[in-house]
Amino acid sequence: MSLTKAFTETLESGVNQIGQIRILLDPIRLHHIDDSDSASLEIHTDPDDAREIGLYTPEGEYRFTKGELSLPTGWIFHLESIEQLRRTIDLLYPASLGLWNAWKNDTIRVQNLRDKLNRQTGMYRHSRNVSDQGAQDLVKCLCGPTNKCVKKILWKIDEEQPLEDSEASQFNGIVAQGDEANAIPLLCQEACNFFVAQARKKAKEEFEAKPA
Amino acid sequence: MRTDEVNLSCGMEFSPKPNSALLIVGHGSTENPDSSAPYFDHAREIRRRNVFGEVHCCFWKEEPSMREALYMIDANEVYVVPDFISEGYFTRDVIPRELELTGPTTRIHGKTIHYCDPVGIHPSMTSLILRRTVEVAPGVPQKDSTLFIVGHGTGLNKNSTKAIKDQVTLIKTLPDCHFADVLDTYMEEPPFIADWAKLADTPNVVVVPFFIADGLHSYQDIPVMLGFEKEEGLAASQKEIFRRNPYRLQGKTLYYSAAIGTDPMMADVILDQISTFDAKHVAH
Repeated sequence: MSLTKAFTETLESGVNQIGQIRILLDPIRLHHIDDSDSASLEIHTDPDDAREIGLYTPEGEYRFTKGELSLPTGWIFHLESIEQLRRTIDLLYPASLGLWNAWKNDTIRVQNLRDKLNRQTGMYRHSRNVSDQGAQDLVKCLCGPTNKCVKKILWKIDEEQPLEDSEASQFNGIVAQGDEANAIPLLCQEACNFFVAQARKKAKEEFEAKPA
Repeated sequence: MRTDEVNLSCGMEFSPKPNSALLIVGHGSTENPDSSAPYFDHAREIRRRNVFGEVHCCFWKEEPSMREALYMIDANEVYVVPDFISEGYFTRDVIPRELELTGPTTRIHGKTIHYCDPVGIHPSMTSLILRRTVEVAPGVPQKDSTLFIVGHGTGLNKNSTKAIKDQVTLIKTLPDCHFADVLDTYMEEPPFIADWAKLADTPNVVVVPFFIADGLHSYQDIPVMLGFEKEEGLAASQKEIFRRNPYRLQGKTLYYSAAIGTDPMMADVILDQISTFDAKHVAH
């Protein structure tokens, strides 16, 4: 089944939320979950406008991780098709619908952290030297709603070692206490490259902290 | 010479592929949001032309990552075009590794993936550069002008300068090129762009940065090396750098272009790279 068809069926079953976005059908509308008065919102009809909307936090910081809980408010998309809706969501939450569909169908290819770090080359090759505990600590200080990201983490450190219990490892990928039956979770199938860059820094700190 | 008088070889006839997807791969940045803007512009333009069933972007430093990208795609056949200026570490190591590619065409995860060469080494970039010079210095006689193409250069990787050297060689052969001289220059290895006034014998100089995106290199670093910006801070408006032409410096008149990758016709170069791939690898 195509992603568009699977997404359409899911919307028709009553699902209306992904990340900080509310999705409405008939007509197709998309706005921030915190915006309830749609009359005051700036109307957009071009899906490509979504990139600009998701580019900065309300404080003007660059949102290079799109799972960040900082999507600005004040806009609404008036769209004509599910294809347009998919494109708009893919700019606000890149690949989120495809990852969700693969997860739902059990075809998602999750890669554990050790495999991800071990495949790095060049300057990021050294990220593989981070200790298991260092990696666990990074998850707690980089992932989860209080940090940079509101995605549900699907990976472990390695096959034998799950993530330690924390807000980050337990988060279900649905913000604002949304109903799991009516929301599409944001998913993290492998550590992002920002995490890899931080693992590299952490590995360096651990090396320098070792007694000579 | 007007823009429309330049005989462009880019924009070859492209056979639409309504059942295939195009995946544009860019570097991206965790610091500079302008860095990925051109890739989205290129995707938007190709989508507008309706020649692919789907058009997507993915990145090394931004989302979606290369590993996430295939999940977005419904089509079974995918053309991957690295929106990179040269061949090197990213196009030879990182992109094949991340997309699990084993050759020009790879069948994986139920899809057939065609891996094209990076845009920067396609011959149609040559005419795009020449077109850009006409836009940035309209009516300026080429015979009294030197064209500088500026790259980064590292000294560590010969391939990083090869694409620019090849373009300089090619541009000199174009019948529409009447520049007194065309020179490759670099930020971090000789010949240095900082020596432009010594390298140019002509009263006019046109400078084209050979980068995909406008970032600190084209906003700040190269303008400082050329001498029309000071070291400290950015210009009040970064885009102003490209609007204040010409600059009168060291007894010469200098015209400064935005990065070549920001040209709207980069969409044609991407499509040309796909046509070239098909001609070389895909039997029809």
